[in-house]
Order: sequence, then C-alpha cells, then structure tokens
Amino acid sequence: MGKKLKRGAAVFSAVTVGLTLAACGGGGESGGGGSNEPGEPGGTLTYLQAFPFESADPHRIYYGVQLANWRRTFYRGLVAFPMSEDPDVSNTPVPDLATDTGTTEDGGKTWSFTLKDGVKWEDGTDITCEDVQYGTSRVFANDVIIGGPNYTLSYIDVEDYPGPYTATEEQQAAFEDAVSCDGKTVTFRFNKPWADFPLAAAGMMMVDPYKESFDEGAKSQWKILSNGPYKVEGGTWDKNSGAKLVRNDQYDPATDDPEALRLALPDVIDWQINPSDTAGELFNDRMIQDAGKDQTAITNARVTAPQLPKVTGPVAERYVNVDSPFNSYLVINAKTVTDLKVRQALAMATNLNGYVKALGGEKVASPAETIVNPGLPGATDNPAFADDNNNDGNFDGARALLEEAGAVGYEIKLSYPKTPTADKAMAILKEGWDSAGFKVTLDPLGDTYYDVIASPDKDSDVMWAGWGADWPSMMTILPPLFDSRPNISSTTCGNDYGCFQSDEFEALVDQAANAGTVEEQVEFLQQADLVLGEQIAYIPLEITKFNWLYGSKVTGFTTTAASAAYPELGLIGVSN
Amino acid sequence: MTDGTGVHVDDFRDLNDEPTNPVESKAVVSKSPTQLALARLRKDRLTMVSVYIVGFFVVAGISAPIVWWLGLIDPFTTDTDLINEYSLPIGSWGGISGDHWLGVEPGTGRDTLARMWLGTTLSLTISISATAIAMFLGVVAGIVSGAGGGWTDTIIGRIIDLTLAFPQVLMLLALATVGIAFVEEVLHVPHGNPAAAVYVVLVLGLFGWTGIARIVRGQVLTLREQEFVQAAQMIGASKFRIYFKEILPNLWAPILVTFTLMMPAFVSAEAALSYLGVGITPPTPTLGNLLTDSLRYADSVYVYFFVPAVLIALIVISFNLLGDGLRDALDPKGHR
Repeated sequence: MGKKLKRGAAVFSAVTVGLTLAACGGGGESGGGGSNEPGEPGGTLTYLQAFPFESADPHRIYYGVQLANWRRTFYRGLVAFPMSEDPDVSNTPVPDLATDTGTTEDGGKTWSFTLKDGVKWEDGTDITCEDVQYGTSRVFANDVIIGGPNYTLSYIDVEDYPGPYTATEEQQAAFEDAVSCDGKTVTFRFNKPWADFPLAAAGMMMVDPYKESFDEGAKSQWKILSNGPYKVEGGTWDKNSGAKLVRNDQYDPATDDPEALRLALPDVIDWQINPSDTAGELFNDRMIQDAGKDQTAITNARVTAPQLPKVTGPVAERYVNVDSPFNSYLVINAKTVTDLKVRQALAMATNLNGYVKALGGEKVASPAETIVNPGLPGATDNPAFADDNNNDGNFDGARALLEEAGAVGYEIKLSYPKTPTADKAMAILKEGWDSAGFKVTLDPLGDTYYDVIASPDKDSDVMWAGWGADWPSMMTILPPLFDSRPNISSTTCGNDYGCFQSDEFEALVDQAANAGTVEEQVEFLQQADLVLGEQIAYIPLEITKFNWLYGSKVTGFTTTAASAAYPELGLIGVSN
Repeated sequence: MTDGTGVHVDDFRDLNDEPTNPVESKAVVSKSPTQLALARLRKDRLTMVSVYIVGFFVVAGISAPIVWWLGLIDPFTTDTDLINEYSLPIGSWGGISGDHWLGVEPGTGRDTLARMWLGTTLSLTISISATAIAMFLGVVAGIVSGAGGGWTDTIIGRIIDLTLAFPQVLMLLALATVGIAFVEEVLHVPHGNPAAAVYVVLVLGLFGWTGIARIVRGQVLTLREQEFVQAAQMIGASKFRIYFKEILPNLWAPILVTFTLMMPAFVSAEAALSYLGVGITPPTPTLGNLLTDSLRYADSVYVYFFVPAVLIALIVISFNLLGDGLRDALDPKGHR
C-alpha cells in the first residue's frame, strides 16, 4: 500500500484517479523564482485545498501531502524529515519528540527512542512513553482505525493482537512486551530486521503518540489533539470546509528544532477546503490573478496543463515546477504475454516522448527509465529501458524482434483508467506499437480500475499503474509491486497487477529485507530492479511533475523531499 | 402519394396559391397535396436554407468513410510535431494550416477536420438509428392504441405514462455496465465501441417513442371515424389492413415532422451521454466525445473549443428549422 497521491483538478493528475500511491521520497529542483528565503513571523496564511482529507486522526492518515504538512503543524513524530531542498539532507531523519534518531544494537530487530523533556500536548499534559505505546497499539485495531499505513502489523513481534479496544489482558501484556516502556524510553521489538525503521517513523504516523484518555476510537476521526506549533480552533477538523489553525500555547520551540523542522511563521493558517470538481482549477486562476487575500494564499491544487501557458511574466515569479515522488508505469500481464521477445518489443516501441507530450509536456511529466523515482536513495536508470531506444520508440527494432518471435500482428489489450488526457496519451502509445507490428486495442476503464486489473484472470495484456514510495526507500516500491508472495492469492494478484513471479527477484528481496544496513539493502534492490528489467516485468513511463503557484506576499515557498514535493508548510510565511 | 384523405384535391386550391381574382384566369392546374406542400416549402427561405445545410451534413456523413478509405482524411494518426511543449497546437489559430483546415487536436496532433467529419457520420448514424427505432415503436403503439381503443388504448396509455415517469438518464448511467454486457452477450455485439453504440441506440430508441405514440394516437382517433376507414371496416378488412394500409398512409406528415425534430435531439443526447461517460470512447470520434474533450481547452485553444460546439449547434438548428418548416408546409391550416 503506497501513500496516496490525491487527484488534483490538474489535467494530468486525472491520469492518477483513485490511486493509492505513495510519497515520501522525491525532491528535485525548484523551477521558478519567487522569494525562497524564509520571511518573518506573523500574519494570516490562506491554504486552499480542492479535496477533503479522509481523517484527522494521525493513525488514519495516508495522503502524502497531509502527512507532510501535518508533521509541521499538529503532529510531531519521534523523528522527522528536515526541511531542506537538498534531498540527501531531507531524506535523513532528525530527532523530533525523541532525543536521537533511534538506536538499534541487533541490526534493526530492536529499536529504542527516548522522549525529550518538556514536550506537551495542547492540553498541557506531558507526552509520555505510554502515549507512544498506546498510539502504536491503535494501528492494530484495523477495524476501527481504518485507512492508515499498517506496516507495523507485520513487523511488531506480537501475535493475534486485536488492538487496545478489544484486547484481553494477556494480549495487551504481550503487546506491551513487544513495545515496551522504561521511563521515557520506548523500545520496539520486531520479528525481523527493519533497517530503515526511522525512515518509516518519520514519513508515516503509525508510531506517533496518542493520548489514551483522548481516544474515542472511530469517533476521534476528526478530532485533533495537537503537540505541534498550531492547534485547530475548536479542536475538530471539518472534512468539507477545513479549519482555522491558531498558535498552540503549550508548544515550546525550545524542545524543537524550528530551523530544521518547523518555522511556524504565520500566526494563523486559514485552511479552506472546497471539494468540488472545478475548485483546483479555480484556485489556480485566482493565484494567477493574485488579488486581495489571495496574495497571502497558497494551494496544494496543481496548475492544470492548459493553464500553464498563462504562467508568464510576473506570474512566473510565483511559480514552482518540481519532480514529484510519483511514477507511472505499464505492467505486462505475465499470464498472457509470455514471450520475452514480445515484451522486449513492447518496451522498445514505447514512444515516451510522445506520451509525455500528450500528458501536457515537459512541465507535467518527464520520461522515466526505471520505476524507481529519482528522489530515492539508490535510484539508477535501468539499462533494459535506458538503452533500448531514445524515448521516441524504436519501431523498426521492435518489428525485427516481433518477426524473430514470429509474432507480427500480436494482439495487445491496453487497459487504463479513463480520462480525456489518458485517452490521448494512450492513443500515442498504441500508434507506436501498431507501427512496430502489434495490433493494439485501447480499453479505458472506470472507477474500480485497480480492482479490475488486480484480478488474476483479466484479459488485459498491458495495464497502466502509478505508485510512489511510502518512505525514501526502494523497499516500499519493488517488493510491494512485484513480490508475488504477499500479493498473489487465488482471488487477486494484489498490487502485483501483472501476476509476475520470479524466484531470482524474490531471493534478492529477501536478502534486502534481512540486510543490516540501508546501504546493503539498496544494493540488493538495485539488482532486483535489473532482474525486473531483464524480464520486462514493467515498462517505465514517466516521473510526474508538480506545478505550484502562490500569492505574491507569500515568503519562503518551496518544496522538499520531506514535503513529498507539495508546498513545504513549515517554511512558508507571509510578508506584512 | 395517394390522396388518402378522401378530400378532393381541388379543395386546397382556393385556400392557397390560386389568385383571388378569378377574372385573370390561368389554366387550371390540378395539384396534389404533396405538390402544394412542396410549393409552400419552397416559398419559405429559412427552411430552404436549412434543407441545404441538412443535405450537406447528410452527404458529408455518407462520404466520410469513403473519403477516409481513400486516404484523403486521417482521423487517427497522431503527430506530436504539431503540438508545443504545453501539448497545445503550434500556431495561433489552433494549428490551422493548408494540411489541417480546422487545426489539430491538442495533446495528439490529430487532424480536427478529419475527426469532425468521421464524428458526424457516427453521430448521425447513432441518432438516425435511434430515431428510427423510436418512430417505429411510437407509430405502431400509436396506431394500435388509437384504432384499437378500449382496453388496448388504456394499457398502452399507461405504458407511455410509465416510460415518461422513468428516471431514464439516471437509469441509463446506472445500468450502463449491465446494459452493455447484455448487448454483448445476448445480442452478440463485439465488445467495446460497437456494444456501447448499440446500447446508446437502444436506450434512446426505447425511451424516445412516447411522444410520437401520443401524436399518432391523436391523429388516429380522428381518422378512424372517417368514411374510408368505416368503409374498410364494413367490407370486412382485417385489422392489420385497416391499421397499416388505410390509416398509416395518412400519418406521414406528423411522422416526417417528428423525425426531423427528434433526430437533432438525439444528436444532443449523444453528446450529453458522452460527457457523462456513456457511449463511444476515443480514439473513435463522435460529435459528443469531441465536444467533451474540447471543453477543457475553452480558454486556451479557441478554435478547437468552438468547432465541435458550432457544428452540433448547426446540425441541431438546421434539423429543427427543417422540421418546423415541414410542419408549416404540410399543415394547410397553418398560419403561413
């Protein structure tokens, strides 16, 4: 399960309808000008958003933008990613509520964190080790705490634990052995090594503290008990209209590292949500006009491709174009396209440049040579795709391969989630493949797209998909998407949409999972990607780019790897 | 056309184009009602203009597959050299050039004129087929209802009420998946666009017959009391003969008018359905999905935005004017 990329009103983003994708790596260079230097404290920032969140409960949050922005405002973690435009810095966790970034003495099977003194909830009580323990336990109640990431369920060394609401005393005691408290020190015991656990703890909120006396289970969905620099006026988030964020007087910057983690410049953040279909485009029209209160506004709705030509002159100074942590790719159905030569011919005849142009050009996407986003540590181009053509598609070479395989006229059914932009982009791919000797039929699908392509007996030969990492590690890309063991059952192929299975690949994944250090892990996963490339398990398409506009009186606007290429709320202020 | 009304042809003359001054006598020419109607039609300039426009679209619609087959137009080949880095057409008028008279499509560089042309064919085919189904059902139901009377009339009347009360757009959308599966499996129509097209035709046809049924029934109620029908009944003609040989030939005027008014409504309906996601999907062009796509470029590629909208408007208006003109011309009691 990947972190979610919320479909904006952006024309390209429509391609990613209903995705459960991920985001935490990423990064890339900021394009436009604008005042990147942090400004002064004070003032009111307006934050415009064109979709509703699914929850305000930290353990139920999975949208990349929400995880990133709320780390800066309400929910501090044991560790957190710093706000830096340098992805190497930004992808390395620093202490937040804890005094260090976690210690392990047995190669990642046991991790300990010690809480700082003086860290408080907004009601003035201290954040305790028991709060962390309780918060971690809530995630196990996945019938009540629905929607958040659940990696901890397969790692924490406890069996048959149903979460704190229904656990027997014995079950609770077993859990408190696995996640134990000693004074201010919390210790997590896992059933297998988890080398990059601090990355997961920084990027997601599944081991964040939660105050037991505040918890009302499912009824806490929209309640916020902040421990960060802001709190919600009234304490409750309004799903469809947002909330007003005011200063949290119990937050003590001395316990924090404001420079690295959260400057918290505006006195008030007016977070406005308008979930209508056209809101995102309207927000960006307002940004272009830059009138009145919109001068101190930002939005997490992406500029749509047809709006981009209007971003010129003074507007271009308030514009940022950045690589996002999201990639899209084509999966080949291993059950129907069994001939390797045919798969190679498909990859070779893929007209990526034309595809990107149809999506809206180089400002909304750039051609990819691997499924691994360039913002992730260890990302390298996969030679299987980097060397096969110049991204315009090599149709003659592909035809030669097809002739060798005796498969000229091979029929391909290409499935994708239907949007007007996707219809055009896929028509470009079809044409390239057709001219290489395939017979392609387009199969645009509706809302239940991912359910359809997960089915083991679908007749699609090639399927579009999108994904982003949950935290900056290839572990959250390759195994979830291509390891047949957790994915494939009799009724579904899970996220392994092509029902791909390779012993060689799975052996490398196991070696990576058991690696003691992150560096070793990266090496095994790079090899695993090579295996996927040799067998053409997937064909990389593009790295999604984000386009942001902001008001002329907004200071410090930028994006970082830590903000999943969304606006980095911790740095943003308004000038008076 | 036979003089089925039983009214003497000459009765029409003094009502219309005969000079009021009998002294200035011309040679007396006998004219059939058809000739009279055509004469009235020719005097109506607006209608004549719409006749030519309709004729133009019909010819265009028939010729598109031929022109495409000859390779003169190419609605499907993409050309990304014709679009710029924002994926919009290169050139200030939506990419209009000697090769592309109406510019090119944003995102793909496909020729807009070719897509419009083939799209017109498909849209007209869909709307004419749907209209034909609706007319057939409506006329049969109307004649049976009107001439049969009694229980038959009541039952058909209630069926019409039921069909009208049916939330058809909602059902159409909700049942699209099931309906298309039915078309594929029971009627053995190939998967994809053919099945979607048949579904749209069937749905438009099956829900569109009520209006014509009521009009026909009203006409039949008058006709069945006329002497020639009663004469047929007295000599023991079969019901089938009375319905379809005696009554039907007298209904051609309302049928023709309704046809020309219903067809453009179905062109619009196809466009609306396409916008809502039911119907033929790209890359196959229809006026509906071209219009849907063009909406996204309302403030960036004006030419591309206006062309499908103007084309649909032109088709709908010209058919409607033609229908109105026909009604006026065919109704001797009309105002003109």
